[in-house]
Order: sequence, then structure tokens, then C-alpha cells
Amino acid sequence: MKTFEEKWTAWLDGQLSGKELIEFEASLADKAAAEAEKRDAKKLGALLKEELGLRALNNEEFFSHQLRERIARETTQDPHRERSTFWTVPHLVWSGATALAIFLICAIAVMREKNPGPQSEYLTQILNARVDPAVSPNATTYVLEAKKDKVTVLWVEGLQSLPVDYAAK
Amino acid sequence: MQTEATAAQVDVSELDLVKRCQAGQTEAFDELVTRYRTRVFAMIYNMVHNEQDAWDLAQESFVKAWKSIKRFRGRSSFYTWIYRIVMNVTIDWLRKKQVKGAGAEFDDSVQLREIDPASKTVPKADPLPHERMERSEVRVRIDNAIAQLSPDHRAVILMKEIEEMQYHEIAETLGCSIGTVMSRLFYARKKLQNSLRDVYENV
Repeated sequence: MKTFEEKWTAWLDGQLSGKELIEFEASLADKAAAEAEKRDAKKLGALLKEELGLRALNNEEFFSHQLRERIARETTQDPHRERSTFWTVPHLVWSGATALAIFLICAIAVMREKNPGPQSEYLTQILNARVDPAVSPNATTYVLEAKKDKVTVLWVEGLQSLPVDYAAK
Repeated sequence: MQTEATAAQVDVSELDLVKRCQAGQTEAFDELVTRYRTRVFAMIYNMVHNEQDAWDLAQESFVKAWKSIKRFRGRSSFYTWIYRIVMNVTIDWLRKKQVKGAGAEFDDSVQLREIDPASKTVPKADPLPHERMERSEVRVRIDNAIAQLSPDHRAVILMKEIEEMQYHEIAETLGCSIGTVMSRLFYARKKLQNSLRDVYENV
């Protein structure tokens, strides 16, 4: 959908035709004023063309000579120009994709080789249920059991008094 | 768009010249410069209104074109391609100048001081003194009005009215849509019509 500005510009430049032209001209509130503005735009274009089209480049040969010298100077000052053109956008994209692929392959290989860690040889349980909360409200009891050595350690914190059934034998 | 030779001649030989440039032949590039230097300079001059700046920017544009000629794929004409470089260089320069000068670029008084009214305006048939004076005044008025446009609006109006480029060519050169080109043309014309109505009514 063209905006009014686009249609107006196309109309001024004679770029509207057929149904679009008929519809646009029908939509103009004051066609005489629009035609006058069109003539103004043509005059403006002719004025710009006449006045600005005359500008010339003096010393054309010197311009080319200076340019040749500058290009020669910059080419010799920048001997790595050929090499630097390697880093064009397609090359960068390919380099990035290759690096990512290599990284993923290495990561998958490492992950596959890596075995799951050994299960802890200690079994820890919290035995709050065996402590009377009325006697020792802040008490916590842990049991640490080394399966292989068949050793069990009872670790109790915050006891106000030792329960009867905990008595060492 | 204006052509200095027939379209077929330009296209065929231009492509050949570009290929030779891509092979590193500076003589071929010299030939392309000879073809386009006047139009490139004139376009930049109309954008910046200063001969020395226009000269430097034209040189800069051609150097950039030489450095990137290997990336030219021939999808557009060489002229559209180099015009894109010219516009990028010039619009960048104008924007930087605008930032540095905090808007002084669009100050009428600055423009009037910088422009030599008689520069490059003498036609082949010398006008009478009073005609020359009137002409200089007209030129200053036009330069002044164009200087009030933003760089993007300047580029669009000059490419359309002076170079007679098509909307799609302008869009390709500036890297924007055809709709944007038409919209910019609308506003640029409105502004210039307001500024220059008495000039084009009387000339």
C-alpha cells in the first residue's frame, strides 16, 4: 500500500498509470492546485538541472594523476592487502561454523568417554525422628556408615540429654 | 541516467574494464576514472558545496572503489556501484561535519561564506556582466536551499533531478526501499519549492 507521499511523487514524475492514476486524481481535493504544484516541481527540476548540471572538474588530468599516485602509494604501503581480503564475510562464516563443529565433536567425545562417578562410600541419614523434640528441640542426629569397612558413626548435635536407648554398650 | 556513450558500448567495455581491474590492471581503472570523474566530482560538489572537499571526497571514493573492485559482481551497473561508494563516503562526511559543527552545516551564513559564487559557473559562451551576477545569485540561492536539506534528502533530489536516475537505481545506491526514495523526494521537493519559488518563477 503506497502512502500519499509515494503516490504524489509518482504522479509528479508521470509514474502513475491506469486505475492507480484515475484513483489518485479522483482523490485530489483541488486538482487545479495539484496541477499547478506539478508545474512548479517541473520548473524546480529544470532549474536544478540547468544550474547544477554545469559544475565541471578543473584539472581533470591532475585529478587522475594524483589518484594514480595515491593508489600506488597505498598499494605499496599495504603489502598484506591480498592476505587481508581472506577475512571476507563468507570466510568468517565458514571459519565460525567449522570451529563450532570441531568444538561439538570434541565435547561429545569427551562426554562419552567420561564414566559416571563412583557412588559415595558413605551413607548419610538424618534421624530426627529418634530424638524427643520435647527434651532436645534443636537436636540433629546423623548416621554415617562406611559400607566397605562395616563401620557406622553416629553424630549427634544439640542434645540436652542422651536418650536411654543411645547408651553405649 | 545520463550516458556518455551508448548503453551497449558502456556495458560491454565497462565489464571488460572491471574484469581487467579485478586482475590488478591499474590502467583499466584509470580508464573508468576518466569516464566518471567529472560526474562523480559534480555530484559530490553539489552535496558539499566546497571544491576542495569535493576533490578530496572524490579521490577517497575512487580509492575505496579500487580497493573493493574485486568484490564487484556485476549485479548492477558499475556506475550504480561506484555511486553507492560515493554516496556512502559523502553522506558519512556530511554527518560527521554536522556533528562536529553542531548543526553549522545547515547554517545559511556559513554556507554563504564558504561558497565562491563564481566558482565553476562560467559557461562556454561568456555571459554579460549583469547576467553573470544574476546567475551567481541564483546559484547561491540554490546551494543555500540544498544546504538546508538533510544529507539523505540532498542525495535523493540530486540523483533524481540532475542524474535523472530511476527510483530503483537511487534505492540501490542508497541501500533503502523505493518507497523511502519516493517519500524523501516528496519532502525534498516541498522544501526546495518553498525556498526557491521566487527563483524558478523569475528565471
